[in-house]
Amino acid sequence: MANEKTVFVTGATGFIGGRVVETLYLSRSGHVRAGIKRWSSAARIARFPVEMVLCDIMDKEQIVQAMAGATSVIHCAVGEGDVIIQGTKNLLEVALRLGVERFVHLSTAEVYGNVSGKVDETFPYQYTGNEYGDSKIEAEKLCWEYCEKGLPVTVLRPSIVYGPFGATWTIGFAERFQSGNWGIFKDYGEGICNLIYIDDLVSAILLAARHENAVGEAFNVNGPEPITWNQYFQKFNAALGLPELNEMHPAKSKLKSVVMEPVRSLGSYLLNHFRDSIMKGYMRYDVVARVIKQAKKSVNTTPALAELNLYNRHALYLISKAQDMLGYSPKFDLDAGLQISVRWLEHHGFLLQRVEDGCQRSRGPISVPSDRGTPLEVDG
Amino acid sequence: MSPGNAPRIAIIGCGAIAESYYLPAIARRPSVLERLVLVDSNQARVQEVASAFNVPNYLCDYREVLNKVDGVIIAVPHHLHHPISMDFLAAGAHVLCEKPLAESVAEANEMVAQAKRYGVTISVNNTRRLFPAYSKIKELLSNGAIGNPLSLKYFEGWRFDWPTASGFYFNTKTSRKGVLLDRGAHVLDAICWWLGGRPKPISSENDSFGGPEAVAHISLEYNGCAIEVKLSWLSNLQNKYIISGELGVIENGVEDWWVVPITSKSGKTETIKLKSKEKDYNDFAHKMVANFLDVISRHEKPLVPASEVIPSIALIEECYKTATRFRMPWYETLGAPDGK
Repeated sequence: MANEKTVFVTGATGFIGGRVVETLYLSRSGHVRAGIKRWSSAARIARFPVEMVLCDIMDKEQIVQAMAGATSVIHCAVGEGDVIIQGTKNLLEVALRLGVERFVHLSTAEVYGNVSGKVDETFPYQYTGNEYGDSKIEAEKLCWEYCEKGLPVTVLRPSIVYGPFGATWTIGFAERFQSGNWGIFKDYGEGICNLIYIDDLVSAILLAARHENAVGEAFNVNGPEPITWNQYFQKFNAALGLPELNEMHPAKSKLKSVVMEPVRSLGSYLLNHFRDSIMKGYMRYDVVARVIKQAKKSVNTTPALAELNLYNRHALYLISKAQDMLGYSPKFDLDAGLQISVRWLEHHGFLLQRVEDGCQRSRGPISVPSDRGTPLEVDG
Repeated sequence: MSPGNAPRIAIIGCGAIAESYYLPAIARRPSVLERLVLVDSNQARVQEVASAFNVPNYLCDYREVLNKVDGVIIAVPHHLHHPISMDFLAAGAHVLCEKPLAESVAEANEMVAQAKRYGVTISVNNTRRLFPAYSKIKELLSNGAIGNPLSLKYFEGWRFDWPTASGFYFNTKTSRKGVLLDRGAHVLDAICWWLGGRPKPISSENDSFGGPEAVAHISLEYNGCAIEVKLSWLSNLQNKYIISGELGVIENGVEDWWVVPITSKSGKTETIKLKSKEKDYNDFAHKMVANFLDVISRHEKPLVPASEVIPSIALIEECYKTATRFRMPWYETLGAPDGK
């Protein structure tokens, strides 16, 4: 291991970071060090005998220890806005100090805001008031600041990433389709869904970490074919073997979203402030559990207003720069990516099946309390 | 043990189970808490936990309390259950060991033999043995309430969120055993206990690439009963067991300890409601700890003697020995070979 390059991955228990770790391990591409915020989320990557280190990116001392000896850093950790900004700054600072050879920052196409048309990397940042996108802009600015100081940084801007272990666009949508309360949104769903299968993103990440042309550059990362959101819904739904989706009336969809918005906000507020009391009620009283489950189901099967806007956004993030400069070439078309994703969903019990198969009928909103530990896992 | 005094016990290992299960139960007994000794090799951790529960006595090396306690609760990482239990048993202390009792049947047998040799007891915290529903099912199966069992399915999956303090579950330097050992210690023990014997493994698959597996599927057979077990640390499964017999079916949530629903062949479901003082896991901890103290001071029988879980420890070991890796197409694209 003396001369072996060490790749340090932040957010290694997450969807993208986890896949980067798995890919590096299975392809025997040097030594991989997985940075994890807490042990309780390590079950997925621990199946691989990789080095794991505790690394809360808000804790500089931990970062110094976790990054020591790393030749490159792939920064996949996310969090609330302050974590995205300050955590990235902490990592950049330490990486510069330790002389890290390459630093790949996972950003997002959301930094372009609510644009339309064909979008390349020359498009300016646009703040939208969305915490995630706005924080990622700040984090990117920090990246360029440290790049100026001499840290070889590369920024990647993916959009809608799906595939095994994907919470929002994979597990979340499988649940929505199976609920029977989801459909296609006519004009509202005709925006471009810049969909990329996780392994294509990981291939771009590894190119960015290795290619000499990548330093100091930002790259859009996208899948091989532009499709609309309605097409994604239909194809995914069909891959799950479900009856065809109904068309949702645009005005009604929007009205429902508007009506559900305060419920969504109230739910978040209550969970953030009265989690313990709610959990006690959930544990002990069936009626409380039923109300929570019903509220969760209604919220989950109603698009948030921001989602409706996303489904109606006519922006295509071009990947010609990554293709030309890095040789990036996405391999997974939607059929291939969905086929693997559905197999994965099935294996992990996310598909509605007979009880005898051991799969859940619907995911409860909150884990049942038990000797396994905290019952406070609210999916998300 | 000094006459008139509460037993002097120690908790070895101050991780999440000590903090959330044993200590709240012991804290209900001030006289025991006062004499309790907390032990953890991590100085900061033992201080933190001692401070949280106002425990005056704590230290880092368990050997310092050998010969000084009447009993110990072993709550250390799994691979240390055997060596530390052996030391305390030899020192004449009763042992209540956290599940799984041991990682191998050889170790488990040694622990039971050691207790016998030194005239003390070793018991294990297989909490589900205390669930009224589980006892009732054992009774129902023995009485032939559903006839001969033809199939038994047990599905247990939760996203792992145990607030493990040391992360030992994932330390491949000490153990590469995952969900099968952790959850299987409950699930396979319940199956062996209900059926009254150790089923034969038919197949065993998991998703390990060299580290602790997070998903395991097991097929077993016992006297004509086909058994299927699915365990997961990565997603929520049905969390049910379904026992189908010649005359009826028992189907229940894995933690619904207060009821047993039985459906007869005619399709009629009768739900047996069981009296249970226990409302949550803390109440079971209280019961387990109360029994352990009575074992020490009143020579009562342990609720779950270690010898009783040996069939499941043996079964888990067999399942690991014969395990192959699932076919997982989402890894084949990354160059992962199929199977072990």
